[in-house]
Amino acid sequence: MMEKELEALAARALERIEAAGSPEELEAVRIEVLGRKGALARFSKQLGTLAPEERARVGRILNSAKEQLERSFEARKEAFHRRALEQRLEAEWFDLTLPAPGPRPGSLHPVTQVQREIEEVFLSMGFTVLSGPEVETEYNNFDALNIPPDHPARDVQDTFWVEGGHLLRTHTSPVQVRGMERLGPPLRMIAPGRVFRNEEVDASHEHTFYQLEGMMVDREVSVAHLVYFMKQMLSAVFRREVSVRLRPGYFPFVEPGFELDIRCLICGGSGCAVCKYNGWLEQLGCGLVHPNVLRMSGIDPEEWMGFAFGLGLTRLVMMRYAIDDVRLFQSGDLRFLMQF
Amino acid sequence: MKFSYNWICELVEGVQVSPKELGHLITMKTAECEAVEPFGEHLAKVCAARVVEAEPIPGTRNKKVLVNTGRYGLKTVVCGAPNCRPGMTSAYVPAGVALPGGEIRCLEISGVVSDGMLASGAELGVNRDAEGILELLAEPGEPIPGCRPDWVLEIDNKSITHRPDLWGHLGLAREVAAILRLPLRDPVRLDWLPEAAADLEIEILNDELCPRYSALTFEMVSVQSSPLWLAYRLETIGLNPINNIVDVTNYIMAELAQPMHAFDRDTLRGNTIFVRTAAPGEFLVALNGETYKLDPATVVIADARGPVAIGGVIGGLDTGIVAGTRRIVLESANFHASSIRKTSGRLKLRTDASMRFEKGQDPANTVRGLARAIELFQEISPGIRLSGGLADAKRELPPPPRIALELDWMERKLGREVAREQVVEILRALAFGVEEESPRRLLVSVPSWRATRDVSIKDDLVEEVGRMVGYDSITPQAPLIPSAPPPANELRTFHHAVREMLAAQGFTEVYNYSFVSEETARRFGFDPAEHVAVLNPIASDQGLLRKSLVPGIWKNLLDNSRHFDSFRLFEIGYEIHKRPGELPDEIDHLAAAVYEREGDGRPGLFELKRLAECLMPGCEVRPASARPFEHPARSWELRWRECALGRLFELHPTLAAGRAAVLDVDLRKMRELGPPPKRYQPLRRFPSSAFDLSVVAGLRDLAGDIEKRLVELAGENLESIRFLRQYSGPPLPEGKQSLTWRLSVFAADHTLTAEEVGAIRARLIDGLRAAGYDLRL
Repeated sequence: MMEKELEALAARALERIEAAGSPEELEAVRIEVLGRKGALARFSKQLGTLAPEERARVGRILNSAKEQLERSFEARKEAFHRRALEQRLEAEWFDLTLPAPGPRPGSLHPVTQVQREIEEVFLSMGFTVLSGPEVETEYNNFDALNIPPDHPARDVQDTFWVEGGHLLRTHTSPVQVRGMERLGPPLRMIAPGRVFRNEEVDASHEHTFYQLEGMMVDREVSVAHLVYFMKQMLSAVFRREVSVRLRPGYFPFVEPGFELDIRCLICGGSGCAVCKYNGWLEQLGCGLVHPNVLRMSGIDPEEWMGFAFGLGLTRLVMMRYAIDDVRLFQSGDLRFLMQF
Repeated sequence: MKFSYNWICELVEGVQVSPKELGHLITMKTAECEAVEPFGEHLAKVCAARVVEAEPIPGTRNKKVLVNTGRYGLKTVVCGAPNCRPGMTSAYVPAGVALPGGEIRCLEISGVVSDGMLASGAELGVNRDAEGILELLAEPGEPIPGCRPDWVLEIDNKSITHRPDLWGHLGLAREVAAILRLPLRDPVRLDWLPEAAADLEIEILNDELCPRYSALTFEMVSVQSSPLWLAYRLETIGLNPINNIVDVTNYIMAELAQPMHAFDRDTLRGNTIFVRTAAPGEFLVALNGETYKLDPATVVIADARGPVAIGGVIGGLDTGIVAGTRRIVLESANFHASSIRKTSGRLKLRTDASMRFEKGQDPANTVRGLARAIELFQEISPGIRLSGGLADAKRELPPPPRIALELDWMERKLGREVAREQVVEILRALAFGVEEESPRRLLVSVPSWRATRDVSIKDDLVEEVGRMVGYDSITPQAPLIPSAPPPANELRTFHHAVREMLAAQGFTEVYNYSFVSEETARRFGFDPAEHVAVLNPIASDQGLLRKSLVPGIWKNLLDNSRHFDSFRLFEIGYEIHKRPGELPDEIDHLAAAVYEREGDGRPGLFELKRLAECLMPGCEVRPASARPFEHPARSWELRWRECALGRLFELHPTLAAGRAAVLDVDLRKMRELGPPPKRYQPLRRFPSSAFDLSVVAGLRDLAGDIEKRLVELAGENLESIRFLRQYSGPPLPEGKQSLTWRLSVFAADHTLTAEEVGAIRARLIDGLRAAGYDLRL
């Protein structure tokens, strides 16, 4: 008798759980059936009126019905939750193509970027990065580099002179002198920096530009070593294997001195407008450090040898990005600078 | 410097390489050859032609001319030259040939079709004579004598400043001979020099500035146009043919790098040439018509009356060669390089002679030039003869010391092996004397023309050998060196870190000049006298070196505000501060700016303050008295770790339309202070309690002061303090604001009871009241 009622109740309750249209309705069913004063609770109170054997049997049936109802109730509840969450999440869509608030990203000056790349290359090869002042002594800029006062090389480098007998450095080479005097041999260093030439400004001439100087002094330093490092650096800068060639070049602070060319990256050497149809691009001046330069910095040229090079950083950046007006670098023009 | 390919080929026997290939070899082994261009290409098609008939065309100055051109047969041309007459031989240019002045076409002139033309020397570009058509001694169809097509090799002057010998063809020819392993033909025969006594005195009064002065005297001179070959050769290398005498001096200069000068002897006073420095007040009217005031540092050539030439630079007008000159003094001298360089700089006069002397010419070359001149004069001035022997005054110069060259050492320098025989061959081909002292050691003597300044040490010989074996024969090689991290450069690392942060925060890096104009300095209220002054600026905005980055940033703001309503930028650069008696102090600074055309300017300043806090955690701003370029009510000093190290301000509204917030920080101080040392604090084990406090203060009372007071008062109980809001308005009285903070307090060893929290709060309230603040409770 009770058994039949129980089955009917459970069947009806299951139907109602399935049919519940909202979490509230479902909860109402739960209270009515599974609540402390619900239908099943009433049944369990009636269990006491049954004979012990019957009680155990009906009790099991009751428990199983209760478990089944609770399971389907939980499942149903979970379904409501899931749907509610889905609806909320769906409603939270928004248009992320709208601009993000806050400032746009800034950028580093193109010379900074290329300079840092080259610094990293040399740091990884055990070179230190040195700095020197913009205002230099005449001695460091010229005399100590084997350019005595009446040397014609002084004509080539139009110099800004400042009060006190000093000058704005015409190249980064004085940092070689500072490096040798401060660190002594053995020495591997580079020195990027701002240099000055007193000349009229136009699209291809600037009175302020950037160079990167480098030097190695050790017991055994040869032209073969120099070419090795130059190839390493230029391959890293141009991100591919470059062919280089050395030809004689004259710089008072090196002997022998070289101009180093790379095979034109545009035409691969067959000749184009960029390399003026000769297949090679002039990259930098270099050479073995002149014994006078070592001697003047207190290094015995009989015991030590060295190479040095000087790279036109500004020119390299112009080449890298095909920039046709050198004045842009110091223009402060964000329309230019934000491109990098 | 222009070189003639044909000329080089005359000096080197058996050259087989093309001009372009020769240019390449010279670039790779000697000096940079910038261009190789054909010269006189048209001369291949131009030929001698005999005038058969020449009949005037009525009503014109032209003649209808029938010419026998040999090569091209009989041709009819129209010719207007006055010297055109039957029987003469001239130069015929067929139609279709491009002359320097343009292409010749079949044209109808004065009713006659001219099939080609007869040409003057100027039209052909072989000399400057435009008076009439060329008169030649040649058979019809033959090429123009002495005027073959040539190539010009242009060598970069900068690449031969150290090579006095390369300022003449013989020097370059010697290189070519060594490169191609061919024999060199020296055009100079010293046996042309006369042995008779000189009929001229030379007195050198300063043999430091003029180590040697040699001269010859000639008579029976006839001044006329140079023969075609000579004029054409000068034209080829860009020199202007003038007359036979002057052209020979220029020819020898271009051949031997020895500048020479010819005086009209009949205009010289006395029989002595003096070489001395100029006396005060002396001047010279030079060949170029200019008058030069001479100073006592200038070397002059003088006769009994005064200067007749500026030594090594230019001759005088009065004593120059003219059409009627009959007797000449031919000077071939040597001057001190830097003296010439200075004189030429002082006079702003660079001549072909001064350009060569300032490289340090070879004193031994003077007499070689004279010997060559005798030979050439015989050819170009028939009847000329020497009127005396060689006059030669000189300071005896010791022969250059020999250089010991250890071959092992040389190979270590080059990074490759070179056979001893090859080293010897190379050096000898370049005219070095080589003695093999031992199998691995050579004693090398330097030829006089390389010894003036170019070659003096063994390193110079490494170059000679290296370039001739070819640098491309050296295999790149990594050195064997101990591997160790290089010494750190903290300055650079620091700058790069600051840059990275700025760029990440939306700021774009600018580079500004190190210069500032006096006007801008004044505008910013800086005293121009406190700046390092540039002594030789070319533009007025380069007068001073900057001692603040702000004027540069200001210009960036003005420029960019024309294109953008809002932007951020920064610069890391050096302030240059004058220090008497030593190099200026260069202090690295960061200047960053936020520009907003609209708005009240607060967001920009707050953004920069946040930026400063990113760079210097815990930094604070204090009110500062504004400098002239700062907004008077928005000027703050930036402090960090008890130290003032920058400014945060709004640019004065008169300097820029819109709002420009600027941060200017001394990076050197920031770097020296460094971040405070870090030390781990054990994590809090007992919960904290939070409460809010609203402080009523005057409108210009500083929140920073109040917060600092709260922190002090909370002492070791403070876990955190956070500013919540600021309010002013009713019910607060006029002139008051309410500032609210949320404080979290805790104890290290237990959970604070409600009473304890209350006590802390009361302590704060009492403390604030004691400091004169009200509280909204």
